[in-house]
Amino acid sequence: MLRARALSPLILLATSSFTLTAKAEPVDFSKEILPLLSDNCFGCHGPDASNRKAGLQLDQRDGAIAKLKSDNHAIVPGDSGASSILARLESTDPDEQMPPPESGKTVTPEEIARIKQWIDEGAEWGGHWAFEAPQKPNVPETPKTWNQTNPIDAFIQQSLQSAQLAPEQEADKETLIRRVTLDLTGLPPTVEEVDAFLADDSEHAYEHVVDRLLRSKKYGEHMARHWLDAARYADTHGLHLDNERTIWPYRDWVIEAFNKNQPFDEFTVEQLAGDLLPKPSLKQRVATGFNRCNVTTSEGGSIDDEYYVRYAVDRVETTSTVWMGLTAGCAACHDHKFDPLSQKEFYQLFSYFFSLTEKAMDGNIHLPPPSMKVPTAAQAAEKLDLEQKLKATSDQVTSIYKAIDYQDARADETLGELATEDTLWFDNDLPKGAKRDGNEGKDSWKSVEHAGRKAFVRTASESLSQHFFTGAKEPLEISQGDKLYAYAYLDPNNRPKTIQLQFNDGSWEHRAYWGADRGHGSGRNNASNLKMGRLPKTGEWIRLEVAADAIGLKPGAKLNGLAFTQFGGTVFWDKAGIVTVAPLPDDQLGSFALWQQYRAQTKVPTLPKDIQKILDTKQADRKDEQTEKLTEYYLKHVNPKTKLAFADALKREETLKKNLETLDKAIPATLVMEERKEPRQAHILERGEYTLKRDKVESRVPEWIAPPLEGSPNNRLGLAQWLVAPNHPLTARVTVNRYWQQLFGTGLVKTAGDFGVQGEHPSHPELLDWLALEFIESGWDVKSFVKMLAMSSTYRQSSRVTPKKLEIDPENRLLARGPRFRLDAEIIRDQALAVSGLLVEKTGGSSVKPYQPAGLWKPVAFGGSNTQTFVQDKGDKLYRRSMYTFWKRTSPPPSMTTFDAPDRETCQVSRARTNTPLQALVLMNDVQFIEAARKFAERVMKEGGKSTDERLAFAYRSVLARKPSDNERATLLALLQEHLTDFKAKPEEAKKFLAAGESPRDEQLDVNELAAWSMIAHLVLNLSETVTKG
Amino acid sequence: MNPLREAQLVETRRHFFGRAAGGIGTAALASLLNPSLFGATAPSTEELGEQDLARYKKFAPKAKRVIYLFMSGAPSQLDMWDYKPQLEPWFDKDLPDSVRNGQRITTMTSGQKRFPIAPSTFKFNRHGKNGTWVSELLPHTAKIVDDIALLKSVNTEAINHDPAITYIQTGSQLPGRPSAGAWVSYGLGSMNANLPAFVVLHSTVNGGFGGQALYARLWGAGFLSTRHQGVSLRSTGDPVLYLSNPDGMSETMRRRMLDELAKLNHERYQDVGDPEIQARIAQYEMAYRMQTSVPELTDISGEPDSVLDSYGPDVKTPGTFAANCLLARRLAERGVRFTQVFIRQWDQHGNLPNDIRRQCGIIDQPCAALVNDLKQRGMLDDTLVIWGGEFGRTVYCQGKLTRDTYGRDHHPRCYTKWMAGGGIKPGISYGETDDFSYNVTKDPLHIHDLNATILHCLGVDHERLTYRHQGRDFRLTDVHGHVVDKILA
Repeated sequence: MLRARALSPLILLATSSFTLTAKAEPVDFSKEILPLLSDNCFGCHGPDASNRKAGLQLDQRDGAIAKLKSDNHAIVPGDSGASSILARLESTDPDEQMPPPESGKTVTPEEIARIKQWIDEGAEWGGHWAFEAPQKPNVPETPKTWNQTNPIDAFIQQSLQSAQLAPEQEADKETLIRRVTLDLTGLPPTVEEVDAFLADDSEHAYEHVVDRLLRSKKYGEHMARHWLDAARYADTHGLHLDNERTIWPYRDWVIEAFNKNQPFDEFTVEQLAGDLLPKPSLKQRVATGFNRCNVTTSEGGSIDDEYYVRYAVDRVETTSTVWMGLTAGCAACHDHKFDPLSQKEFYQLFSYFFSLTEKAMDGNIHLPPPSMKVPTAAQAAEKLDLEQKLKATSDQVTSIYKAIDYQDARADETLGELATEDTLWFDNDLPKGAKRDGNEGKDSWKSVEHAGRKAFVRTASESLSQHFFTGAKEPLEISQGDKLYAYAYLDPNNRPKTIQLQFNDGSWEHRAYWGADRGHGSGRNNASNLKMGRLPKTGEWIRLEVAADAIGLKPGAKLNGLAFTQFGGTVFWDKAGIVTVAPLPDDQLGSFALWQQYRAQTKVPTLPKDIQKILDTKQADRKDEQTEKLTEYYLKHVNPKTKLAFADALKREETLKKNLETLDKAIPATLVMEERKEPRQAHILERGEYTLKRDKVESRVPEWIAPPLEGSPNNRLGLAQWLVAPNHPLTARVTVNRYWQQLFGTGLVKTAGDFGVQGEHPSHPELLDWLALEFIESGWDVKSFVKMLAMSSTYRQSSRVTPKKLEIDPENRLLARGPRFRLDAEIIRDQALAVSGLLVEKTGGSSVKPYQPAGLWKPVAFGGSNTQTFVQDKGDKLYRRSMYTFWKRTSPPPSMTTFDAPDRETCQVSRARTNTPLQALVLMNDVQFIEAARKFAERVMKEGGKSTDERLAFAYRSVLARKPSDNERATLLALLQEHLTDFKAKPEEAKKFLAAGESPRDEQLDVNELAAWSMIAHLVLNLSETVTKG
Repeated sequence: MNPLREAQLVETRRHFFGRAAGGIGTAALASLLNPSLFGATAPSTEELGEQDLARYKKFAPKAKRVIYLFMSGAPSQLDMWDYKPQLEPWFDKDLPDSVRNGQRITTMTSGQKRFPIAPSTFKFNRHGKNGTWVSELLPHTAKIVDDIALLKSVNTEAINHDPAITYIQTGSQLPGRPSAGAWVSYGLGSMNANLPAFVVLHSTVNGGFGGQALYARLWGAGFLSTRHQGVSLRSTGDPVLYLSNPDGMSETMRRRMLDELAKLNHERYQDVGDPEIQARIAQYEMAYRMQTSVPELTDISGEPDSVLDSYGPDVKTPGTFAANCLLARRLAERGVRFTQVFIRQWDQHGNLPNDIRRQCGIIDQPCAALVNDLKQRGMLDDTLVIWGGEFGRTVYCQGKLTRDTYGRDHHPRCYTKWMAGGGIKPGISYGETDDFSYNVTKDPLHIHDLNATILHCLGVDHERLTYRHQGRDFRLTDVHGHVVDKILA
C-alpha cells in the first residue's frame, strides 16, 4: 500500500506518505484540502473569474460557504450533511457528479472522507503554505540514536521515526569523498586526494575535504552549470536562423559569483537589475545577461510588437520560476487557475521587463544591442597603459607644434593652372594585392607580344567576354578633373562589336563603351554604361580615355579593380592608368596659402573629414579655431620642412592608436539589459494576444505575496530587492530547495519549479522553513549553506538500500539512506576527461566545439545561418569542461541531451534522469569516450604501478575512489588477458582502436598491451557505478 | 498492485529474461525495473504512475502508427490542390480589401503597394471516383485520391515559419512543449523494444540540405522524459548516433566486454541494491541489439525491384525523400509508432512555378508509392499517413508577377493537407475556401483539430492524454482542439 502510494501522482504524495497522518488527526487544510480543491475544482471554481461555473468560488472561504443560485451551500462549516459539495462528490449520476466525468478527474473515497471530516471540524480556511512567511521552527529534540551533525539531521530523524525507519551508517571514506567531490565540483577526486583523506584520522578530516572543495575554482563552474539551466544560457539566438550570439562573459560572471561566494541577495539584484544600481560597475552590468539569455528571432516577416511581448513574457516566466517557484505564465492568458495571481498582476510584472532598449529583431548578429565591452583585468590594464602612452605622445606632438614659428612667405602668390600627368596603374603586372579573374577564370589572362608591346589578348565568339582584376590594396584615388585611360588594339580581321572599360570602387557600376551597346549594363546610357562613340580604329594601338566624373567617379573615389570587356572579336589590351594633376612641388607645398589653392582644385588625397570641411569653408568665413586646426594639420602632415619634426612622434602615435584598436577588437562583449528613456506602456493582453490590448497597467509587484518595499524604486531594481526582502515567503525557500535537490537528487519540494497550490507539498515542511530562514540569517551565504548540507549526517549516510527501504520509500524522500543517482551529462564527460588526464582546466572564455558526429547541423539549419556548418575545434578546446561546450539551441550536442541535459530554450530548474539504450551507445562508442579510455589506459600503465593488480587498483581508484574487490579484479584480469590475446593476433586492429581521437598515442607503450588496457579502461568508464553518484 | 501494471511487469520480465546475455539471466529483476527503454509497451511508471490507461485510451484505435510526411516551408495549396479556375480574369488585379478584411500579413509583403492576384499557372484535372481536382504537378498522387482525405480548410494563426512549425508540431508557438511524436511515444509506447517509438528522417533536395530551418524542439520531448524524443535516423554516418563500435573493436570483443560489464554491474547491484543498476544492464543489452536491428532496418537490398521502382529512381540514394518514404514503411512494419519524414525548400516567395515543379517532382511518386505499398501489405488500415506543411501561401503575388512566374507569401488562414489510412475516410474532400483561397467558407479545420484527430485515430482522447508540469496538466492540443468526425472512417 505504501509503495503504491509513493508511486502515485504528486497529489497523493502530498497528502499521504511522508508524515503518515493518522486518520484521527485533525485535517490540515493547507496540506490536505487545498491541493484537492485545486486539482479537482479550481479549473471551474477557482481564482479565474471569467471561467467560473455556477457562480461557485472554492478558492476562498467566503465563496465556498456562500449561498448558491440553487439555494444550496457548497460548504456549511461544521455540517457536512448540509454541504452540497459532498453530495456532488459522492454522486454517481453523470449529471450531478463532481468532478464531471468528462474532466477525467476523480476524488477517492478516502479523500472525500477527509473533506467531510474537515467540514465537520469547522471548515477552517488557511492560505497556501508557500505564500505564508516561513516561521522558524524549533529544532526537534530526538533521542541520540544517531550521530547527528547539525539540525538537518534532527528534522530528518524525526520523520524517520514516524515512518519507523532507521538511518544508515556513515558511508565509507572512499564513497564519501567521491560523493562530495562530485557534488561540489562536478569532478571525481584524484587518487592523491583519496589517499590524503584516508590518511587523515583527525576529527575534522571530512570537513577539511569539504572546505578544500569549496575553495576550488571547480566549485564555481559546477554551481554555475546548474544555474545556467535556469538562466536558459546558450550560444545561439534559438529561433529561426539560430545564429551565434556572444554572451559567455555572463556565464563567466556566474562562475566568479559562486567562487567568490557572492551572497545570493546581491547575486539576485545584480542579475535582475545590475544596470539600475547607482553607478553600476562593469561586472554588475554583465550580470544582467541573465535576462538577455532568452531566445530571440530575426525571421523575415515577423512583426516587432509580437516579439516585444514574447520576450517580456519569457522574462516574467523565467524570473517567477527561478525566484518564486511560481508558474506565472499561466496568467498571461487569463487569471491563474490555481494560484491567486491575476492576469492584471501578470502584466504588472510584465511591465518591468517591457521597456528595454533592445530591438524585437536580433538582426542575426553576435551582439544585438544593448551590449557592452568586457575587458579582462589584463586587457583593462593594457588599455590604460596604451591610453597613457598615447596621451604622452599626443602631448609631445602638441609641444612640438607650439615650438614651431611658421610664417608663410608666399602667402600672396597665386597658383596658376595645374599641370597634369599620366600615372600608370596597371601594365604587365597587376597592382599590389589585386587578383586576376575572367570569364574563364584567372587563367584566361593570355600575355603576348603584339605590335611592339607586351599585352593581354582576348578572343570572344559572339558573346561578352572579359578579363578583370579586383582587390588592389593601394587603390587608385580619383582627383577632381581626372581622366582614366587604357590602351587597346583591335584586330582588323576579327573586329569586336563592342569594347568596354569597367571600373570598380566597390561596385562595378562605372562603365564606358565604344561601338555597339552590347556590353554590361546595355540599354542604359548613364554612368553605369556610358556611350563613348563609335568603335575606334582597328589595326593600331589606340588610347581609350574617359572622364572619371562622367562615369560617376567623384573625387575621393578609390578604384580597386578594372575590367577589359569586349563583345566578340579579338582585342589586345595594355596598360591603364589615370591622367591626374601633378603633385605640388616641395617649394610650393611649403606655403600654407598655395597648398590651400592646390587643394581647392584637386581634393586629393582624401583628408580627414573635419579638415576637408574647413578647406571647403571660405577663408573669410572660418572661425579662428578652424584656421588654427587647419594650420596645425598643415604643419604636421603637409609642410615638407615642419612635418619632419613631427615624424617620429606621429608615427608612435599612429602605432599606439592601431594597438589600441587591435586591443579593442580582442576585448569580448556581451549582451546586457538597459532601460528605454521613455517607458513602453504595458497593457493587459486578452488571451495573451499582442493585438488585443485591454487596460493599461503599470509596473507593480503582486502584493499578496509580500508588500512592496518602502523606499525602493518601482523598476526592476525594486522588483529584485522585493524578491530578496527577508519577508518574501518564496525566494529563500525556492532557492534552498534547489540546492537541496542538487545534493540529494530531489528537492524537499519535488516540484522545484512550482511552489504554487498545484505543486507538491514539502516532504519536510519544517526543515524547509528552517533552512530558508537559516539561509537568510546567514546573509544568503551560499557556500555556508552548501557546506551545511554536505556536513549533515543525513548526506553522509551510506546509500546502500535494503528491499524494505526500497519498498517503503523507493524515491528516497525520507532519506533513510544517502543520496544515489545517475550523474548529469556534463559530469559523466568531465569525469572521463579528468581520469584520462585530458581535461584542460581553464576557467571561462568563449565556448568550444569538441567532438560531435558529422552532419548534425546541416540537415536542420537555415541556408544562411552562421551555425549551419559545425567546425570542430582542435587541441585544448577538445578537452574543456562540458559547461564550455558551444550550445546551439536548435541542435544541441547529442552526447549531452542524450543524458537529459535540457535544450536551453526555456528556463529549467530540474533535470530528468532517464536510463536509456542511447546513453549506453554514447558511452560505448562516442569517440570522446574511446579516446578517454586510451589516455586513461596510458595513465594506468605509466602511473598505476608495475603489477597488473596495482594497475587495476589504480584504474578503479581513479574513477570510483575505491579498490576493486577480489571478484572484480579476477574478472578484469581474465578479460585483460583475453583482449591481449585478441590484439596480439591482430595488432593492426589494436592500432586502429588506439587511433580514436586527436590526442597522440604514447608510442613508448606496447601497442597490444595498451589496446588491451584501453579495453579495460573502456569497461571501467562504462560501469554503472561510474555514472552514478553513490 | 494494479493488475494492468502487474501484467506489464510480467511481460517485461519475460521479455528481458528471454534475451538477456549469459551470466545474469537468472538475476532477480527488481519490480521497479521498467525496461521500456524507449517507452516500450506502456508508459513508464515514473510518469503516469497508476493513472489508469483507460483514462486517455478512450476509443478503439484504428491506427497503430503514424507516418507524417512534413513539407517544411509551406507548399502552395493554390498550385497543388485548391483549384480556383475563376481566378483567371483576376490576373494582376488587386485582391479586394473585402477578402483580406484587414487580417495581418507578414512584414515581407505588408509594405507592398499592391496585392496583385497570381492565378496558378498549372493545369488541374479531375481524378478518382469523385472527380477530385488535382494539379498537373501531382500525376502520381492524383492516382491515389480515392485513398486519401483532402483537407482544404486547415488553418493556423502563426504567420512565420519558426512559430508556425513549432505550433503544429507541439501545439504552442513558443519553444518548450513536447512534440506530437513524443506525446504518442509517451502515451502509447513502442511496439518494438529494439527501436525507438518516434523516428525522424531528414530528406535531401538535389543532394543537399537547405531551406527553412528545422529545430530539435520539433521532435523534442519538451518536459516529457527525454526517452520520448524523436531519434533521427541518418543517411550518412551512423544511422543512429554512436551506433557502430569503434574501429578495431570486433563484434566479439564488444560482446565479451558487455558480458563482463553486466557481471560487474550485477555484483554491484547485489552489494548496494539499487534497481537502477539492473535497469542499466538491460539498457546495454538493448543498445547491443540495436546495433543489429538498425542496420537490418536500413538495408533495403531485400526489397523487390517492383517495390523499389514504385518509389522512383531516387529510392536507392540514401537520404532522398523517396528513400525515406521506403524507410518509413520499413519502420512502420517494425512497429515504430511515429515516423516523421521532413523535406524542406517549399518556401517559395519567388520563382514559385519552377521551384514547386522541382519539389513535386521529388515528392509526388514516393508519396503515392508509400500509400500503395502500405495498402498492398494490408497496413494502410492501421497506419495513418499525413501529408502537408505548417501553413499555406497567398493568392497575391510577392515580387514581380508575370504569366510565367510569381511568388507567394505565407498564408495561415487556409491551406491543404491530406490524410490517409488508419481511421480516415478515404476519397473525400473536406472544407471549402473562398474564390481566392484566402478564407475558409465551410468546415474550418484548425491545426489543433488536426492533432486531436490524429490522436483520436490512435485511440487516444486528446483531452485526457496529459502530463502534469509546473502544476498544470498539459496536452498536445493545449486547451483547444476538436476531433473532426466527418473525416473519420
